[in-house]
Amino acid sequence: MCGGIINRFFTVMISSRSRGDSENSELKVTVKETRITVYMYSRQVIQRSFKMAAPIRKSVELFYDVVSPYSWLAFEVMCRYQQKWNIDLKLRPFFLSGIMQGVGFNQPGPSKASYMGKDLKRQTDMYKVPFKMPSNPAEVILIKGSLNAGRFLTAVDMNCDQYLEELTRQLFLRVYYRDEDITEPASLMSAAAKAGIPEDMAKQLLSTIKDQAVKDRLRETTQAALDHGAFGSPTIVAHVDGKPQMFFGSDRMELMAHMLGEKWYGPLPELAKAKM
Amino acid sequence: MAALRSRKVVELFYDVISPYSWVAFEVLCRYQTRWNIDLQLRPFFIGGVFKETGNKPPALLAAKYTYAQHDLRRLADFYKIPVKMPPMERLMRRENVNSNRLLTAVTLDCPEHLENLSRELWMRVMARDQDITEPASLETAATAAGIPSDTTPQLLSRIRDDDVKAALKDTTNQALAYGAFGAPTIVAHIEGTPVMIWGSDRFPLLAHLLGERWEGPLREMAKY
Repeated sequence: MCGGIINRFFTVMISSRSRGDSENSELKVTVKETRITVYMYSRQVIQRSFKMAAPIRKSVELFYDVVSPYSWLAFEVMCRYQQKWNIDLKLRPFFLSGIMQGVGFNQPGPSKASYMGKDLKRQTDMYKVPFKMPSNPAEVILIKGSLNAGRFLTAVDMNCDQYLEELTRQLFLRVYYRDEDITEPASLMSAAAKAGIPEDMAKQLLSTIKDQAVKDRLRETTQAALDHGAFGSPTIVAHVDGKPQMFFGSDRMELMAHMLGEKWYGPLPELAKAKM
Repeated sequence: MAALRSRKVVELFYDVISPYSWVAFEVLCRYQTRWNIDLQLRPFFIGGVFKETGNKPPALLAAKYTYAQHDLRRLADFYKIPVKMPPMERLMRRENVNSNRLLTAVTLDCPEHLENLSRELWMRVMARDQDITEPASLETAATAAGIPSDTTPQLLSRIRDDDVKAALKDTTNQALAYGAFGAPTIVAHIEGTPVMIWGSDRFPLLAHLLGERWEGPLREMAKY
């Protein structure tokens, strides 16, 4: 060697630890050096060094209303998959009634309604979500509704969103596992407690649910879903190559995986979080 | 001596005017060589199902129709089936029943052609935006499906026969008896119990109920 600058190509194997699989990413780096020093790097150090080259997380928005049973299924599946896929899951509590007013609604006839009850049982069994149909689903969905619950979730989203996932889960468990109310303040406080929200914080948030800012935010989220073409709940919007892809329902997961360039592993019951 | 595992009967009730029925049809045709099933094709009349149940065709809700156009484009790519949502005028034609009656006649007279003719009718109305109501259209489809051209005129005349109309009504009523309210309607017979599944998005569940494995869209088996 005559002391000149030597260019070297190094191919660095980086394990994608966050993806939970053994797939490796390749990164080609040109290094100019006059001296070659060999270091043994740990996987974590390499990951930290090349953080800028890590693939950008894809944004996936889940618009949901806790009064919608298929939304619980989609919610639990997405919560499991945010650990497996390179996605940034954004929970967007909205108001299903507002959607139905916006685009219309065909109420299912008796044979379809009967089928949906059986379908929910089979799907939630397969996915290990502890679903139980309430004694009067029409009253739960059409009469009692979810306005206060939607506003409470919105207030939590605005102020302390670290609790949003668990509060969502606790509200679903109330209505679709224990057949309990989700409209009264005491009901919402109970769900908040189970979600780990400190009591005084929960009380404060509850006092804001009739504030204009909270109402407006819930309305905006609902409008955002409508703008994506939503007509029901759940509505999932995956941002793929800069384009929003809207999926309705809880049964387009495998297709969504295909479009996100991710692998579909099925129900993943071992990652289930909803406890009875 | 090992006991023979008898094939589980899986009935597919479908209407060729239903795009999601085509998806279910192709998937089940692919899986009949993978799963221990006896796939039985049951062409029925979706119009009769809507009338009896009061269920509304989803296309009547504008937001659902728009979504379905988009959804089917993605599913076409995912499953490698050239399906497209037909324009509303084609979906709503009363004469669509002619294609259902033709398929019923084939079921009665020459069932070996049922799969090919069903596929050809879907290709016409979904992939090529072609008519499936006029006698000339149906004759072209029958020939393209491999039905000998000397037998097609007789087959087409069967569309008006009472036994064919009655058989179509009967198949539709069978689906209704299973609780059908739309298309496709899949009925899997599991240990003597019929399990009705609606739509083309429950295949992993169907696999689970049949004790089989869902291996995805199997695009390599596409006929296109």
